[in-house]
Amino acid sequence: MRQNFITEQKVFDEVKKAIVETLRVDENEIKPESSLIKDLGAESLDFLDINYRLEQKFGIKMARHFILEHVEEIFGEGSAIDENGQLTDKGVALLQMRFGDEHAEFTRGMDMDMLPTLITVHVLTKGVMDILESLPDTCPNCGNTAWKTEDGAKLTCGSCGEPAPFANGDDLIKQWLASVQEEKKIF
Amino acid sequence: MKQTLFNDKVALVTGSSRGLGNAIARKLALAGSDIAINYRKAGGSSQEQGEHLCEEIRGMGRRAILIQADISKKESVKKLFQEIVREFGRLDFLILNAARAPFKPIERLLERELRQLVETNYLGNIFCIQEALPLLEKTQGTVVFISSLGSRFYNPAYPLGSMKAAMESVIRDCAEGLIERNISVNAVCGGLVKTDSFKVLRQYWEEIQYIPDELFVEPDEIADVVLFLCDPASRGIRGQTIVVDRGLSNRLYRSVKRHEA
Repeated sequence: MRQNFITEQKVFDEVKKAIVETLRVDENEIKPESSLIKDLGAESLDFLDINYRLEQKFGIKMARHFILEHVEEIFGEGSAIDENGQLTDKGVALLQMRFGDEHAEFTRGMDMDMLPTLITVHVLTKGVMDILESLPDTCPNCGNTAWKTEDGAKLTCGSCGEPAPFANGDDLIKQWLASVQEEKKIF
Repeated sequence: MKQTLFNDKVALVTGSSRGLGNAIARKLALAGSDIAINYRKAGGSSQEQGEHLCEEIRGMGRRAILIQADISKKESVKKLFQEIVREFGRLDFLILNAARAPFKPIERLLERELRQLVETNYLGNIFCIQEALPLLEKTQGTVVFISSLGSRFYNPAYPLGSMKAAMESVIRDCAEGLIERNISVNAVCGGLVKTDSFKVLRQYWEEIQYIPDELFVEPDEIADVVLFLCDPASRGIRGQTIVVDRGLSNRLYRSVKRHEA
């Protein structure tokens, strides 16, 4: 369901806040196109910290695994990343579709360790937005359509008080992969 | 300055830019040792935190150096020890703290993740022991491996536990094998600790939020036992894994924190 309660600006602001709290960088340094690793100095544990803050803020579950991990699990090891840990043609095609907007450079043979550098502030923001978009029309607990928010971040049912149930980030990635595979048959 | 048993001694703590390793390095420095701090990823927050730790230790009046090395690579380990020889000329305490693992159930691990798991947490630690031997022999030094309760209990998405179990066995083996060379070998098994790694656990194991605060171990409580194992007072302990968990693993039932109303 297209939700109108939480704006992209609000999500962007919260993402910035989470980054400031975790990485202790200046808010002014954070742009949508900032790579968390390359520009802001994040490491893998920092990602988890940032994700955790966003999860607590919005009542959601961010993806625990990077998209290519999902690809390898679904389509087999070696499909996106070869035995030398480098990106395959199919991996490139997929990343192009997923991150084309980010103006990132990916080429065949690119080392997989470089891939987390693709995660920008915009990617995180979009990740949260995608999860929020999975808001069901009606509350699965009481059947009413009465979503509301008190703090502009967490959604609850105005009828029975239950927190809004969103799809989790990993499931959304799997769904996206399934639909892309159906359409483009990359793998 | 008061002379202690640890003065003029040198410790290497792998993975010590943050978390438990950081606390252990600090504790050994406070006790009087010079410290080699090791981290893996250049250019990130680990390097920065490692540099801060170096400064702090130097502020205590000890020598400290920061060495980047990936213990899963034998060449990297060789260079690590060469640098220690260059800087300090000796090694007394080898604290094997560095660990690296994906958070996934074992049955979902990709081949490359499995290999990385074994290469860092099993092979890497053994590479360190092997390279340290000539130095530790000269000082009748000590090896302490940092394990976790995952070695003996199930944790969701925690394949690292199997490597901890393997290393506890390696410790038993080396403790016996190195008697003739007068090198002491033991392990400390930590319980639940609120370090950076905890941030990972709380996302994969939500129930952890309901464990009472007083069952969480402070990094210092573990560091103190590591210190003890480096001290001649612990000379009767050989090949053991000392559990430091505030009794968490003793309990079959434990109380749950009440939700706030």
